[in-house]
This record gives sequence, structure tokens and C-alpha cells, in this order.
Amino acid sequence: MQRIPFGPTRFRKLLPPLAFFALLFCTRPASAALGGDVASIAADQALLAASVSIVRAERYTMHELAAATGTKVREYLDSEGKVFAVTWQGPFRPNLRQLLGSYYETFLKAADSRMSRGPLNISLPGLVIHMSGHQRAFYGRAYAADRVPQGLSTDEIH
Amino acid sequence: MRGHRLRRTGLACASAALLCLGAACSDSSGAAPNHIAALADNVAEVTVDPGLPLIGYVNGLFATVTVCVPGTSDCQSIDHVLVDTGSSGLRLLGSELTIALPAWTDDSSGLPLAECTQFVDSYIWGSLRSADIKIAGEQASNLAVQVVDESTYPVPNDCTGKSADTAKDLGANGIVGVGTLVQDCGAACAASLSSGNPGLYYTCASASTGGCQAAAVPTAKQVSNPVAFFTQDNNGTIIELPAVPAAGAPSVTGSLVFGIGTRDNNVLAGAKVIRLDEYGTFLTQYPTPNGRYAMSFVDSGSNGIYFLDSSTTRIPACRGQLSSFYCPASEMNLSAKGQDVNGVVTVKVNFSIANPGILLTNSTISALDNLGGPSISPSSGDIGMYFDWGLPFYFGRNVFTAITGQSTPGGIGPFVAF
Repeated sequence: MQRIPFGPTRFRKLLPPLAFFALLFCTRPASAALGGDVASIAADQALLAASVSIVRAERYTMHELAAATGTKVREYLDSEGKVFAVTWQGPFRPNLRQLLGSYYETFLKAADSRMSRGPLNISLPGLVIHMSGHQRAFYGRAYAADRVPQGLSTDEIH
Repeated sequence: MRGHRLRRTGLACASAALLCLGAACSDSSGAAPNHIAALADNVAEVTVDPGLPLIGYVNGLFATVTVCVPGTSDCQSIDHVLVDTGSSGLRLLGSELTIALPAWTDDSSGLPLAECTQFVDSYIWGSLRSADIKIAGEQASNLAVQVVDESTYPVPNDCTGKSADTAKDLGANGIVGVGTLVQDCGAACAASLSSGNPGLYYTCASASTGGCQAAAVPTAKQVSNPVAFFTQDNNGTIIELPAVPAAGAPSVTGSLVFGIGTRDNNVLAGAKVIRLDEYGTFLTQYPTPNGRYAMSFVDSGSNGIYFLDSSTTRIPACRGQLSSFYCPASEMNLSAKGQDVNGVVTVKVNFSIANPGILLTNSTISALDNLGGPSISPSSGDIGMYFDWGLPFYFGRNVFTAITGQSTPGGIGPFVAF
């Protein structure tokens, strides 16, 4: 199903300097999380009305956003500050268009061809997604497989 | 309800599957067959069948639900409504509804309410209407029903995931959520939008884009489990389905019983009570006792038993079209234990996993009790710490679901018992 993207795409391309200010002042930012940079996390934080804690590990930095709804979103950044993985856990799903960013349409296409009614598992060359749970208990994990730092086990993304 | 139906291709095989005829069946443990309640005021017939034309649903549990304009005899019965213990509330396809149910409106603004209902990877969008809901001889009066429809009000940008708003995507004419929760959202959706409201409910001032805006809605106005609002037999349900032979069955008929310990036909008897936490989860031990998965749940809307991954279970996954499922070389008889949230009661659960290749060669099969699949590696922290006990768990068992806060002879809900 075709959905309306966040904001006018052409503005994102033509006016990159404005994007920074958009993130500061808007709750509907132009950039999104997976594949985005640290600024996109600030946008997610605003959207979720979340508090943030930061964990630094050898191969990544993890920002944990604790939303007031009780849902926890974690975003994993590589040494260049790019988000290579996101996870969520809690009573409500986060906004997937926001969190999956440029991967959202790929997710929709892959979900459309799934074979089961149960957890969703998508395994594409550049994208691995798991979603599960039921009403008021949702879990999910998505990572850009080709952006996971070398030497990092994907088990550490949770 | 989770995700989408199983799609099948290939030609129908001429060979007929063995029919499982009620008491003639027994489960793999050799236990006595479960008793299926006869139809009564508090007992509705449920079927596991291929569902709507061209859908080919596998392990979908369906009932017929009647909705009426409140207080009138202007009613409509809708068949093939999915019975889902993983959610709460009645949602019906707008395309199926021929009677004019009145709008369900916001108390403060008077505007019509709509909802973006979240499922695992999908959403259901549509406005709310007021209806008397009838199943068997039970009735819930003047309750909110979600009418699934993307044409009256456009889907808001914040309503994300895959759309499940058509018969094709839903695989049913609706969903009746009869889980442990009273409301689908609860206190969070009644909170102010700036303090923890997930924004699932909307007021709709117009049918133009952006005409629906997120709104706080008190719990009494939320879409709710109709059973909790029946005038009697309102503390929970029992799903009673016969066992199914290993090769599957074209269809299965059973009973959806309302009330727990309210009549002679719904006593707990020897069923063991597994208390759940507020999210409906309990602990599964597999292998017992050291594998411990604390976020497990029972869900009639899941079509298989989904657990762990191939490297943990050493059960290979299927390839190609069936890759969501486990494909052992021969049927595996497995055993787990369910443990209640207080760590007091444990119940043994026998289950089987087999290669579901028959689904590709015999398109008449709609009930398969050994269908299972991988979820995710349990090494992935909390995210993988669950068994999703889907419909195969229900075959050959009477499974009680007690609603949160309702009292029963087995204690106050939420719990499951079997």
C-alpha cells in the first residue's frame, strides 16, 4: 500500500542545511532512524516524548529512548554516527515509518509476501527484521545487515 | 491476531485427508479426548476452515457474530469473524456491513471517533460505531465496534505498518478479540497526548487528509472485549476444539463457551490455572527445566507455534514458500512446561512439529496441529524470550481465558487454564 512519505521529499534534497533546524523545531522531522544519523534520534525522542540514556560499547553507541507510553526503543550507532540497528519492546509499537526510515517501503513489500500469521521474519541482503508479540506487548528488531560493525554479533542487538 | 494468512499455490491433490471425528481422536500423548460443549445460550459454534473464498486460511478459527443498531431488531449476522485471544474488541470489514450503525462519538467534542489498531506488523484503521453485539445467546449492549474502512477517513500518517483493511489482507470478515484485556488500549489512551498516550484513537472533524487527529479517549469509550460486557457469563471464555490427526483435516468444528464456572457447561474441573502478568505473558520451560522464556503467550490468532530458532532447536526451517515454518524430516513429539507468573504452578504441554509440505500438495487442509516455525534466537535479549502458542496449542485441549479483573472460581483474571 502506497503511503504518503514524511514531508516533501524535494525539500530534503534541495535544502539539507534546513534539515538540522527542522529537527530542532519540528516533531515531524524529514530524516528517520534506521540508516539515519544521531540527529534522527533527537527526532525520535521528540516524537516519543522519551527520556534518553546512552551506552557506549566497543563497537557501537546505543541510545535507549524510554517513551512515556512504556515502550523502549533502542538505536545502535556505528563509529561514524549512523544508525545501523533499532529495537523496540513495550505495550505499543513505535511509528515504523519514522523508525525504519528509508527501509520502511522495503519492509512493507516484504511483509506483504509473508507466509504466516505469527512473528514476522524478513531476511534480505541489506535488511533483517523480526517483529512479534500481541496487543499491548510488542517486540521488534531491525538492522541494516551491511552496516553492522565488523566483529559485532547480531545477538548483541536487542 | 498477527500478520497475514498462509497463502498456498499448486494444484489441489485428489487424496482426501483423514477426518477427525470428535471423540475418535486423541492427542499424541494418548490422553483422553477433550469434551466439546453442546451448543447452548452461552456456547457458539466455531470452525477452523479455509475461510473466505480464495483465501485458503490455515489454522484460522472463525465464528459468526451478530451486530444490531442499539436497542433495535435491525441486525446483521457476519460469518468468518476470526476469534482472537491475542487482542480485544470487535472489528468488522465495512464492506460487509449493510446495516447503518450509529457513530460512536467523543464525549467532549461530539466528533466521530476512529482508531488505528496495532498488530505485530500491521494495522487496522476505521471509524467506531455503536452496536449491540450478540454471539450465541449472549449480548453486550451499546458497545464500540471498529468498522474497518480506509475510504471514509484517510489513514493518518502516524498509523504505520502493513494495512490489514481488506478481506484479502485480513483473510476474514472481521476479528473478534476475546483475549485477557478488557480494552484494546486501556489507561494509556485515556492519558493526555503529552504524557504517554500512544495516539491510537482519533477524532475526525472531516474526511480530508489530516481531518482525523489523535485524541485522548476514556477507557469506557474504547473498543473492548465484548465478553466482558455480556450481562452474564462475562468473566472469560473457553475454546474447545477436537484433536486433529497428524496429516491435518479439511475443517474442524468446536465450541466457544462463555463464562468460567458460571454454569454446568463451563466448570474449570481439572484445568490448571496459569496466572499471567498484565501483558498476558507467562513463562515457558523448553527444554525443561533450564530453557526459560518468560514472555510467552497463548494466541488463537497465531496460526502456528512459533519459538526460538533453528540453531537453538536443531529443527531445520523450510525453504522457499514455507520458509516461515519448521521442516523436520519426520514429525517430532516435543514437551514443554508452562509456569504461572508467580512461579507456583507448572503444567506440562505436549506438542508436535512436522513438515507442513502437505499444505502445498493438498489445498483442502485447513487445520494442522503440528504447524510451527522459528521466531528469533533467544540470545537476542528479551526480544527472543517467548513461545507464541498459536492455534495448534488449542487442538485437543479446552483452553480457558480469564479476563483481567474478573473473578472466577479459579481466582481473578488474567489467566489461562487448560
